[in-house]
Amino acid sequence: MNLIRLILLSLFIFTQSQADTIYNLIKIPNLEIYKINKFNKLRYLYAKQPFTIGVDNNINCFSSEKKVLDEKYKIIQKNLDRYDQKFLKKINLKYIVLCEDLSISNINTAGIPDNVMKTLILDIKFDEKYFERVIHHEVFHIINDSFKEIFDEKVWSEFNVKNFKYAECSTCTDKIGLDTYKKTEGFFTEYSRSTASEDMAEVFSHLMIGSNSNNSDPILKKKIKFIKNNLLKIDKNFIL
Amino acid sequence: MIKKIKASKSEKIIFTFIIVLALFSFGSFFLIKDKCLFVKDYDPYKIKFDKPRNIVVLNVPCGNVIIELYPEISPKGVKRFITLVKSKAYDDVAFHRVIKDTLVQAGDLEFGKKGNIDYGKIGTGKSGLGTINSEVDNPFNFEKGSVALARTQKYNTEDSQFFIVLRDEPLYETEYTPIGKVIYGLKALKKIKYLDKSQYVLRPDYINSIRMLIN
Repeated sequence: MNLIRLILLSLFIFTQSQADTIYNLIKIPNLEIYKINKFNKLRYLYAKQPFTIGVDNNINCFSSEKKVLDEKYKIIQKNLDRYDQKFLKKINLKYIVLCEDLSISNINTAGIPDNVMKTLILDIKFDEKYFERVIHHEVFHIINDSFKEIFDEKVWSEFNVKNFKYAECSTCTDKIGLDTYKKTEGFFTEYSRSTASEDMAEVFSHLMIGSNSNNSDPILKKKIKFIKNNLLKIDKNFIL
Repeated sequence: MIKKIKASKSEKIIFTFIIVLALFSFGSFFLIKDKCLFVKDYDPYKIKFDKPRNIVVLNVPCGNVIIELYPEISPKGVKRFITLVKSKAYDDVAFHRVIKDTLVQAGDLEFGKKGNIDYGKIGTGKSGLGTINSEVDNPFNFEKGSVALARTQKYNTEDSQFFIVLRDEPLYETEYTPIGKVIYGLKALKKIKYLDKSQYVLRPDYINSIRMLIN
């Protein structure tokens, strides 16, 4: 019995880990490879142990059970397979980090995009009701960060009614509702009202999951056209 | 009168065992000191290659490492490497970054030369030839023995530094410019000096030489 334990322990000790390689590439510790997608070459990584990163270690995320990971990976992969390798290269997205209870400065968040490190951290335990939409929402932030000059927030803000003003930042407001409005009035969700970039991300994510794309709201129509035209500037073959 | 005591059979066995153990330990002490003891040194002139013009021989403390270059995958990267090999620029350059069983990195021509090594700056030196663009679009399987050009955190900053992976590193595909693969002598690279607590090696091993098989 002891011999079996010893063999198992030595296997554990000597199994080579990719964590150091991953840390050297994207500066996030405690990750291992979950899967490398053959279609668009996205690298899915998972938190083997909780990790802390960011300024003053303000970003935290925790490891998940394998069952949850397997289940959520299918959903994430299905959605991210809609982006081909060429497009992902243009927007600078290569690594998807899967973990749970993701927070930034103690505020829970669905995802943290980082186009410089080509990484998107996703909270796989985020509310299932919005989960698929949120994936595209976060991808849009990567797109936006990589093409800031195309997605001009001034131009975008002018689509709204005259007296409307966005908040200073997405966390400086209580407008965090993610339910899609029945009566849109220029915004898909309450969260859309927080900042211009969150509004763009909400429009994009709604388009990606095909909800309300035939909206007759004149403001939303302009916003949708803006998003579609700009995506075609990045990749003329991009299909919404 | 002292009574003579005869050793029992089991005592004799234990005594013999201790003697053998002592001899083995003593022998091992000298044998283990030679880190290259079980490393085969390949003679490139006794091996037949499909593309001899793409073969380079890297000579390290434990013998020859034979690398096949892939100009069809990374033409600019391979061209830069060959330029530096032909000018003998890599001779006496340190393996300054070594991670046990993971990778060995060398090629800092500015701060990594034997006799002129600068531990404060090693890894940041230049060749004087300028940087070249990354070539990461062609599919490449970064398996054990793959040779690639190193770069900074940014793409298109490749210069003279290169690394060789000692285990499969699938995540390196599309990250680093591959220039070739070790086809013989990987074991000699595993004997390159490393430190347990740091990737950067104090008093490192050096490249003896790198030569094209056919000039």
